[in-house]
Amino acid sequence: MSVQGVAQAQNVRKLDYQKLLAPAVLVVMYAFFAIFGNNFFSSYTLKTILESAYYTGLMSFGITFVIITGGIDLSIGTNMMCSAIIGGVAFSMWGWPLWLALCLVPLVGVMFGVLNGILVAKAKLPPFIATLGMMLVTQGFGSIVSRVQTQRYPTIGTENEWFKTVFYRTGNFPTGALYLLTAFLIAAFVLNKTRFGRYVYAIGSNEEATRLSGVKVDKFKILAYAVCGLFAGIGGILYAATYTTAIPGTGNGLETYAIAAVIIGGTSMAGGSGTMVGTLIGIFIMAVLKAGLASLGLQAHWQTFFTGIVVIGAVLMDNVRVRAAQKVKVKT
Amino acid sequence: MKRLLALVLVLTLALGVTAALAQEKMYISVISKGEQHAFWQAVRMGCEDAANELGVDMFYYGPPSEADIVLQVEALKAEMAKNPAALALAALSTDAVMTELQEAIEKGIPVIGFDSGVPNAPEGAIYATASTNNQNAAALAAEKLLEDEGLKAKLTAATPEAPVVVAVLSQDATSESVTGRTTGFVNKFVELAGEYGVVEVQGHTSWAMAAEKPAIILHVEIGASPRIDDMTNAANAVLNKNNLAAIFCSNEGAVAGMLAATADGSEFGEGGRFNGILVAGFDAGAPQKNAVKNGWFVGSVTQDPYRIGYLAVELAVKAANGEAVEDVDTGAQWYTKDNIDEPNIALLVYD
Repeated sequence: MSVQGVAQAQNVRKLDYQKLLAPAVLVVMYAFFAIFGNNFFSSYTLKTILESAYYTGLMSFGITFVIITGGIDLSIGTNMMCSAIIGGVAFSMWGWPLWLALCLVPLVGVMFGVLNGILVAKAKLPPFIATLGMMLVTQGFGSIVSRVQTQRYPTIGTENEWFKTVFYRTGNFPTGALYLLTAFLIAAFVLNKTRFGRYVYAIGSNEEATRLSGVKVDKFKILAYAVCGLFAGIGGILYAATYTTAIPGTGNGLETYAIAAVIIGGTSMAGGSGTMVGTLIGIFIMAVLKAGLASLGLQAHWQTFFTGIVVIGAVLMDNVRVRAAQKVKVKT
Repeated sequence: MKRLLALVLVLTLALGVTAALAQEKMYISVISKGEQHAFWQAVRMGCEDAANELGVDMFYYGPPSEADIVLQVEALKAEMAKNPAALALAALSTDAVMTELQEAIEKGIPVIGFDSGVPNAPEGAIYATASTNNQNAAALAAEKLLEDEGLKAKLTAATPEAPVVVAVLSQDATSESVTGRTTGFVNKFVELAGEYGVVEVQGHTSWAMAAEKPAIILHVEIGASPRIDDMTNAANAVLNKNNLAAIFCSNEGAVAGMLAATADGSEFGEGGRFNGILVAGFDAGAPQKNAVKNGWFVGSVTQDPYRIGYLAVELAVKAANGEAVEDVDTGAQWYTKDNIDEPNIALLVYD
């Protein structure tokens, strides 16, 4: 083995350690809060952590596709809220049966996703700008359709209680977690085992080369944004099940948590690399952090502060990772 | 030429008369803090009814969310440009509307505060305020909670080694109404619970009050933001306290977080994880009403949003007519599963 070969192998091994970093951080964080937090180490707290991860989880799975193509979707938070609001309007103001109104929710999500895709792929708008615009559009649209009325979904102990048992909790069993798991498995399968998934990576690595090899890049880009919108829409149902109320004019800011989870999970903002498992771990790092800081009895603004620190730390890690990867490329 | 001149003259006269006629109906602007909560719908209904009965033209604006300070200021600017006879205002941030308030003083436009009003406004700008006295309203919750025999027994049995915890959950420490309620509850609770043992106030620094060897701890929890996921997280932090006996949620946002953390409140019911913990809410809305009806919440305090809106417009019209006006407390009511369906309460607790 040449000297260069050895150096390269070492670099590759370093990369593998970095992949283990996120899971290690999750375990260490959980252990830390279990020791120092009040009543943190309990099945009940675990359940609250799970529950706070339902909707961010769905958003994060969706946006992982977009980020791997090298894009971004800033509209997922408001898209999710808009979908939940419109479902609520269909149920309470238009008199639709609840099941039908719930079918509408993911459709709204997909619609805005496709619009994002067309703006980015066909109209060639920078994804940041296109989806920033869509963030305002979805926020405004939700307010317009609902006439700025807070939408309330059925609660436990009322008619249509099944909504909560099916999507949120049955007795002590967190039913919502099943959707999170299913969504994860489907997203991981699509990303790893389908042609669409392979093209998502290819577009993110080198869009021009992908186009030249005969792939309809535009079509798959639109599809990536549509999938992102679909996941945001399904997230809207889980959000409504967890929090009952969907308030017009809100939803922005939620995307930062979803994006942060993806980045913490090791997906590169530059596109071309990332995994669904990483995103899942990122989601739980965010959720454990939130619940854990609260269990330490820290005042709320400190929680916000530390969440920001973790996000910055994750992006710094991403930079180190990208540089390490480039080092390997140079030496080959 | 003469004919043209005559025509122009007639037209000008006609326009002048129409303008004068139009001016006869008084124009009042109402700028509220929100539109999204049913609470604001009831306020709006009160405003509209008052405007109709008093025969004035009214413009009503509410920003999409209570975070939209900029939108509210823009709406206020646009209304000031119309020189209304009077203005009713529930400011999201007094600092943000300082210029407009100065302008109102200069132009002599009377401003009536309503709901949370316009705290710390420049002198002479606000003629009167129609609002719930938040401190009194929240004190009502403390009184009602302490009427419970079970809670009294727990407080009596409390020792410095195993202190009993009572918590207040609030969505912010900045808005006048929420801070007023938090303060009102804290003061009343400390006063009443002092009978049973030494009380210490912990949590948010604005309210913390240290005491030696406290047997009763009043914990004040403020959410990281008014967003429901942050409020749910704060609710979980409260529920996590050892020896928790009672909770007061100071507005609909705090209640929403508490309900999301406890399966719509059912965890406070028979066989639930938090059964035995007393909860008092504030405001209304279908999910909270459901929790009260089922007995998961002991009860809730409600303001009278309809009266707030009605009295705001009434005060505005009076002030515009040059009559003397003064602050009005629009009152608060305590509702439980026993009286929630009575007509006089049902009117106040919106869905």
